[in-house]
Amino acid sequence: MTTRDLVLAALFTAIIIVLGFLPPVPIPLLPVPITAQSMGVMLAGCIIGAKRGALAYALLVVLVAVGLPVLSGGRGGLNVLMGPTGGYIFGWIIGAFVTGFLAENLVREGQSATKQMAGFFIANVVGGIGVVYLCGMPWLSAVAGTPFPAVLTGSLAFIPGDLVKAAIATLAARAVIVGYPLLPARA
Amino acid sequence: MLTSLHVEGKSLLHRIPVKPKLLALMVFGLALYFVDQPLVLTATLVATGLLYLSTGVGLSEGLRRLRPVLFTIAFLGAINLLLLSPEETLVTTLRLVAILFLAAAVTASTTIADFMAAVTDLARPLERLGLMKAADLGLALGLVLRFVPEIAQRHEALKEAHAARGIPVKLSRMLGPLIISTLKDADRIAEAIDARGIRGQ
Repeated sequence: MTTRDLVLAALFTAIIIVLGFLPPVPIPLLPVPITAQSMGVMLAGCIIGAKRGALAYALLVVLVAVGLPVLSGGRGGLNVLMGPTGGYIFGWIIGAFVTGFLAENLVREGQSATKQMAGFFIANVVGGIGVVYLCGMPWLSAVAGTPFPAVLTGSLAFIPGDLVKAAIATLAARAVIVGYPLLPARA
Repeated sequence: MLTSLHVEGKSLLHRIPVKPKLLALMVFGLALYFVDQPLVLTATLVATGLLYLSTGVGLSEGLRRLRPVLFTIAFLGAINLLLLSPEETLVTTLRLVAILFLAAAVTASTTIADFMAAVTDLARPLERLGLMKAADLGLALGLVLRFVPEIAQRHEALKEAHAARGIPVKLSRMLGPLIISTLKDADRIAEAIDARGIRGQ
């Protein structure tokens, strides 16, 4: 791993932490307000790619574990990792990797805007939503004892908000690949 | 902006080294899943709660730190009550809160420096596999903490720039410029690190 990879991942972790300081944005018609930080998995994968995106999230998890309140709402510490939603937090690492892997393979410079956006959106939905829930829901069910079908149904309430996040992350990723491409060129 | 959750003190928990504490937390967390006696679990919960308080965190601050997770546990408890028997719900809720208190106690009684040393040690096997250098971890985490205030400032500046031009401040509009302007520094920072031979290559 080059020094540049390391620096890019560390800078992205810092961006994710700053996004956690921003107040949550309420979206009309949706029950749960959107926190900017929860878009981080999609942004990390789509912007700095699979390997560095996963590294950025691994760094974040280490910071949570050593007791810094880096998650939105000032959460942090081992209790967050061992609590019912710990699976989602570990899932972010894998989610960022999968998002990045798909984005690297679907999106190229010089493609039309529509193609790029579609590629990013697919990567965000599969990696940033699918993989994260796949890691988080079984953990929640195992730790809290809630039957899995109930967890699955309950999670559906978050899907509309997640799709809005995927759309915003797609716009941001496209803006970055146009302005300062990092994903494919010098991978 | 980023104050550690460590609480200064000299309690018993403060004096135990990090690795035994982490190991104990893991073993405790797993072992508790084999206990389903509400009375035993209540006693455990009281014990870990007292242990958490013994770090000197204080009752109100101690609860404030755990509020988001306690809220999640209460919410899941309410759902479990509808789907499972009351006894099962009681057992899982007691168990979760007991683990929560112990985890918070370990966090409160350990300094970041001690944690970092332990994390670097735990990364050694990864180094042997050739995945990464353990020393890089400290460098990367130092970079993160160094740049959080700077990026927060940059975000403020972007907000003002939008406001000055009469453009409503929207997250979707801010993300692109914030990320590009931050990541553009990466080359410069990486060159500075290599020029000083910090990674020893």
